[in-house]
Amino acid sequence: MSKPVPLVKLDEKEYIVPANQACQGCTGATVARIVSKVLGGRMVRQEVACCGPAFENMYQPNIYAEVFEGAGPLMTGLSRAFKRMNREDAIVTGLIGDGGTVDIGFQGLSGAAERNENVLWICYDNEAYMNTGGQRSSATTRYAETTTTPVGEFSRGKKERRKNVAAVVAMHRVPYMATASVAYPEDFIGKLEYAKNVKGFRFIQVSAPCPTGWRFEPQYAVKIGKEMVLSGLWPLYEVIDGEKLKITFKPKELKPVRDVLKMQGRFRHITDDEVKEIQDDVDAYWARLVEKDGKEFF
Amino acid sequence: MNVSQKFEVMVGNKAVAHVARLVRAKYISAFPITPQTTIVQYIADMVANGEIDAEFVNTEGELSAQASALTAEAAGVRAFTATAGPGLLYMHHPMHATSNGRIPLVMAIMHRGTKGMDPDLSDMMAQRETGWMMLECENGQEILDTGIMAYKVAEDDRVRLPCIFAGDGYILSYTDEPIDIPDQAMVDAFLPPYKSKIPLMPDQGEESRRLLMAQWGVGQDPQKRWRDQQQAMENAREVIKEVNDDFRKAFGRGYGDGLVEEYRTRGAEAVIVAAGTIASTARVAIDRLQADGKKVGLVKLKAFKPFPADDFQRIAPKVRAMGVIDRNISLGTGGWAFSEIRNAIYDVEERPRTLQFHAGLSGKEVRVQDIMKIAENTLKAASGAEASAAAEWV
Repeated sequence: MSKPVPLVKLDEKEYIVPANQACQGCTGATVARIVSKVLGGRMVRQEVACCGPAFENMYQPNIYAEVFEGAGPLMTGLSRAFKRMNREDAIVTGLIGDGGTVDIGFQGLSGAAERNENVLWICYDNEAYMNTGGQRSSATTRYAETTTTPVGEFSRGKKERRKNVAAVVAMHRVPYMATASVAYPEDFIGKLEYAKNVKGFRFIQVSAPCPTGWRFEPQYAVKIGKEMVLSGLWPLYEVIDGEKLKITFKPKELKPVRDVLKMQGRFRHITDDEVKEIQDDVDAYWARLVEKDGKEFF
Repeated sequence: MNVSQKFEVMVGNKAVAHVARLVRAKYISAFPITPQTTIVQYIADMVANGEIDAEFVNTEGELSAQASALTAEAAGVRAFTATAGPGLLYMHHPMHATSNGRIPLVMAIMHRGTKGMDPDLSDMMAQRETGWMMLECENGQEILDTGIMAYKVAEDDRVRLPCIFAGDGYILSYTDEPIDIPDQAMVDAFLPPYKSKIPLMPDQGEESRRLLMAQWGVGQDPQKRWRDQQQAMENAREVIKEVNDDFRKAFGRGYGDGLVEEYRTRGAEAVIVAAGTIASTARVAIDRLQADGKKVGLVKLKAFKPFPADDFQRIAPKVRAMGVIDRNISLGTGGWAFSEIRNAIYDVEERPRTLQFHAGLSGKEVRVQDIMKIAENTLKAASGAEASAAAEWV
């Protein structure tokens, strides 16, 4: 089980080169900064097509392959080679967007998880293909307006629910699966500290609110991330060995989802009924998590 | 010459598995697809009984087989994979990344066509622009030998490009032949250990960052990578010849100049050009025709990439007609070898007539008499008779 780590314990050394091409208020870049600090000189990074290349100008070795769908196998090859070369001190890490994880990279994700490859897969989840201009992914929340699910006379935004990839990965019985949020860095760092010393397939899906794609002012990125956790839209939990589930941050009472949805331009159009549908989903999933907390995941 | 010969009767797919063993591949990924499947099984057996000591990963698809071999080789271990037909098509996307990263991965292809399960070169033809070298083999022995040579060519500093070695699926996959399996020590002496040139170790952060920035085109001519890789392909022509010579010295076998092999072309007025197993059939046809006093020879095409333009420029002035047999077609254009050869010899002053034949596509049987007919038509054109400009389907 992970334990939160205070921010002051974070390495002062910066691995991210100061100037990068991320948008203002990009929390994906914050995820990358935190990960690079926690893993330090042991991090070897696989990069695929996503926002990552914009903010991953880092002082850590990396390999970029223009294989959007390839995070799973690309990390597999690195990890197996390091094993053969007796360099298992290297932590093979991917900073992969939600598209490269839940959609186009999904087969490779499942394959690598099933083989229990010794890799650390960090999914910074901004809920759409933000690098290409904000098209929907299967991680997009229902009713969100994206550039491929525009709101119009015959459309209410994205029709489908989010794919629950966290649960899907946990069902592979991997050694470590966790959700995290950029707005709860102590919790996130604790999970990274735990994960970095575990051998096998480790997956952390980090909520990374995107000012550009979600349409809010950059200064609210962390605020929105926080409200998502407090409302249960983004529960923080971990599953070890696909067995033990633990909620790592449990608000006493969940705030209604309405307020945090309304802070984002992508939900400006939604009606009370639509808010209620999302609220019902959130309530149901939270109730299940609370029921499973500290118990068997499946 | 110290050549130890240990013949063993085996199918082509098993010869491929021996390549992975003899080059001491440390990362082997594969996904089964007919007619490549038994390669994966032979390798699995060799891993299970300790003959191969490698990471052997049964990936969840060919794309992952290619992508994982790419990074394993980049990180610093010699890697191997194999596929066929639709599996090769599925690998197409990461294959570009492999060549673009200058990663000297080697893989085996047992051809399976793209319009049905039977063999033709359409699977490999669909990879023409991936930037891989492509070497075609005629029999199981050549598969084994070419696989070993392919690593030496690919890993040469003047080249550093990935390489395919290929054979006709089914025909070679499942045909038993006596094959000489070289000693491990001889292969070790021939093929030095592999070292990656890509900075990926945990302490190579800054070097790696600079490479990444260069990859994104920061501070360099956007066309540089194209030019560099074309230069590497040009270099590969000479390197293939050198490696073929070295192989002949070490193992007592070679394949022409490594790019093409001329068979009974001395004094020939015409030649036919063929690749793969069709070349074997063509040898018999040429023997029969020459026994009848017909002056026609065979040029076996081994290297499709880099294409041996200079070999054909050398051969062209000596003959009055070339009949090119393609077990493939680029729809809307024509045969792969035919197009390349006619392009190569355009500036030769006394260039021969060229005739285009399509044979053996989707596994259609190519018989000795079919090739005799092709050769006789080519001879007629050599003697000045009218020949159709249209391709002939055999």
